[in-house]
Amino acid sequence: MARKWEELADDDGYSLGDADGFPEADDVDDGYAPPPSAGFGQKPIRIPLVLVLLASLGGAMFAATSTADFAAHLDRQVHSVTCSVVPGAEAGLENGCKVVMMSPYSSWFRTDYWGGIPISLFALAVFCFLAYRAAHLVWKGHETTKAEAGFLLAATMLPVIMSVGYGYIAYSEVGALCTVCAGIYVVSGLAFVGALGAFVMSASPPMGDPAAVRRFGVGVLEGVGFVFALTLAWLAFIPETQADDRGVSGCGTLVQPEDPAGIMIDLERHPGGAPSIELLDPLCPACKAFDGRLKESGLGAKLDQKAVLFPLDAECNWMLTESLHPGACAVSEAMLCAGGQTQARAVLDWAFENQAALLEAAKEGDGPVRSQLKAAFPAVAGCLGTPVARNKVVKSLRWAVANALPVMTPQLFVRGNRLCDEDTDLGLEYTLTRMIGGAKP
Amino acid sequence: MNEIARRGIVAVPALFVPLVMVASWLGAAESRLNAADYSAEEEVAIASVSEDAYCTPKLKAIVRRVATACGLVGASGRGCQPAVAKNVAQLTDDEFNALFRPLEKRAHIVQFDADSVDLDPSGVRTVETAWAAQQGASFFFVVARASPDGKTEHNEKLSAGRARSVLSHLEQKFRDPDIAKQVGLLWLGEDFAQLGEEFCGWQRSRVDDCTEKEINRSAFVAWIDCAI
Repeated sequence: MARKWEELADDDGYSLGDADGFPEADDVDDGYAPPPSAGFGQKPIRIPLVLVLLASLGGAMFAATSTADFAAHLDRQVHSVTCSVVPGAEAGLENGCKVVMMSPYSSWFRTDYWGGIPISLFALAVFCFLAYRAAHLVWKGHETTKAEAGFLLAATMLPVIMSVGYGYIAYSEVGALCTVCAGIYVVSGLAFVGALGAFVMSASPPMGDPAAVRRFGVGVLEGVGFVFALTLAWLAFIPETQADDRGVSGCGTLVQPEDPAGIMIDLERHPGGAPSIELLDPLCPACKAFDGRLKESGLGAKLDQKAVLFPLDAECNWMLTESLHPGACAVSEAMLCAGGQTQARAVLDWAFENQAALLEAAKEGDGPVRSQLKAAFPAVAGCLGTPVARNKVVKSLRWAVANALPVMTPQLFVRGNRLCDEDTDLGLEYTLTRMIGGAKP
Repeated sequence: MNEIARRGIVAVPALFVPLVMVASWLGAAESRLNAADYSAEEEVAIASVSEDAYCTPKLKAIVRRVATACGLVGASGRGCQPAVAKNVAQLTDDEFNALFRPLEKRAHIVQFDADSVDLDPSGVRTVETAWAAQQGASFFFVVARASPDGKTEHNEKLSAGRARSVLSHLEQKFRDPDIAKQVGLLWLGEDFAQLGEEFCGWQRSRVDDCTEKEINRSAFVAWIDCAI
């Protein structure tokens, strides 16, 4: 069987390192060299090692793609995000990779740094480290010891474990498919399989090899060094400008935050929290995404949240020439009819959950949306569409007029200061933490 | 070649290539951030009250004069009697009515029984529907009239009662603090700007036959989409 492997390998034309299969004196690593007799049978170990190398390079490429996209967004502007495993594929403004990137799970230390440190940076470091280790062992070929292959196997388990964890989060929490992330999951598995093969084929060290544990420790330190070096580079070069001050002080203030018409909705009241008012449209995808980010950030619990409805639907909103979110007027009426926090929030959650279907249903008029609302919330059926309900929606819109707000949603005001648009996604935790605390960065 | 050299040859590019890339990406982002021009934000439309195409400067001037004299602006008290309306508008009957012709799709005519100031159920619905259709408008005009039956003084009181009846219902139904600032009442009695039968084709509270007398036993209600 070993003979057959060797023939196949030689036929494919790849180098097998030392032609005679014996280590040179200076090749001996820490006092252990495989026995001369082992060289012949261990030549095919390069095949799984090359698999680990290629998978690691692929992982590094995917992680670099994600990290580059993430870094581009640190200029606080709108960019497209690559969402394909094909190198050079066209990037898009809206795709699963962008959804995942904007979720709080895409980076760590978000409250400490604008955007935080992306997980993909750690992935880049790990895959580069694996590529280095695999390349080194490919070079060594048959000299690869069980300890070295074992370390490589252990190291490849890290991206596998992370892939399983983040794959689950993407599926269960974020609800979006990130193709580039999926590419990382696949190459992580391939690297592990390759490392397993190399471990099986590697030469066994003498029993009680005293250097094995030390080499394992050195390997761990090398890996940590890769992660540490890239993290330090990120922190050293992360953009820091006056834009941070602009974000914390906000982009505008409310001139008439009062609610004489009683149109504010209790979104999530947390007595003692920083008073906040969100201008939102229940059928606005950006509002839905923002709501999710706010919840996942955990900062919502530090806000005493109220909302003013601003449906971007020309059926009731005279500021639009055509509806951006048809049906939003009807849903807004239902929220205002529902009254208390629990009921209004239930309507909002229902609208968020069925947003795409409701927008589609309302293309030819909001009648179908009103029917669905009445079926889902019988308690509001008697109120929906009445002059009182319609008048409340008008009053909500006029609250925005009184405050001369931009015609857009969502907008969040904390203590009367407007969260800047560029801080509503990657910089949300960083900026909002400071706005809530009233502290400068 | 010894082990350390081999490791170094492989490790150095594996570490420095991503380091250079990271520094490059973040440097580019910082350059763009520092060059960011936030003035583009000022181009976003700002929420505002509506102003329809019929709001010509001349019309706005007239509406403002009427609104000021009739208590909509300045809160000097609400209500404009026929003589006052005629004077401040400085218009003939036809010119006054012509002011409201562009509101055909926006206005409603609430009809009353003869010698009555009470809103019937269809009148209530019409008032509420008209009020709910505010959208971006700033002023709600209630222009009440009476048919020329009976004495002029009585008809003046009758039209005033009809206007107040509309206002009273709005206050009771909507409890809206803006009513005091937005609803202007004009009662014209039988003396000024009587409606012609052509107004029978407008949105009325009653669907039965419509004569010139019946159309003038009414309150004309409409939001005015003019920012004055």
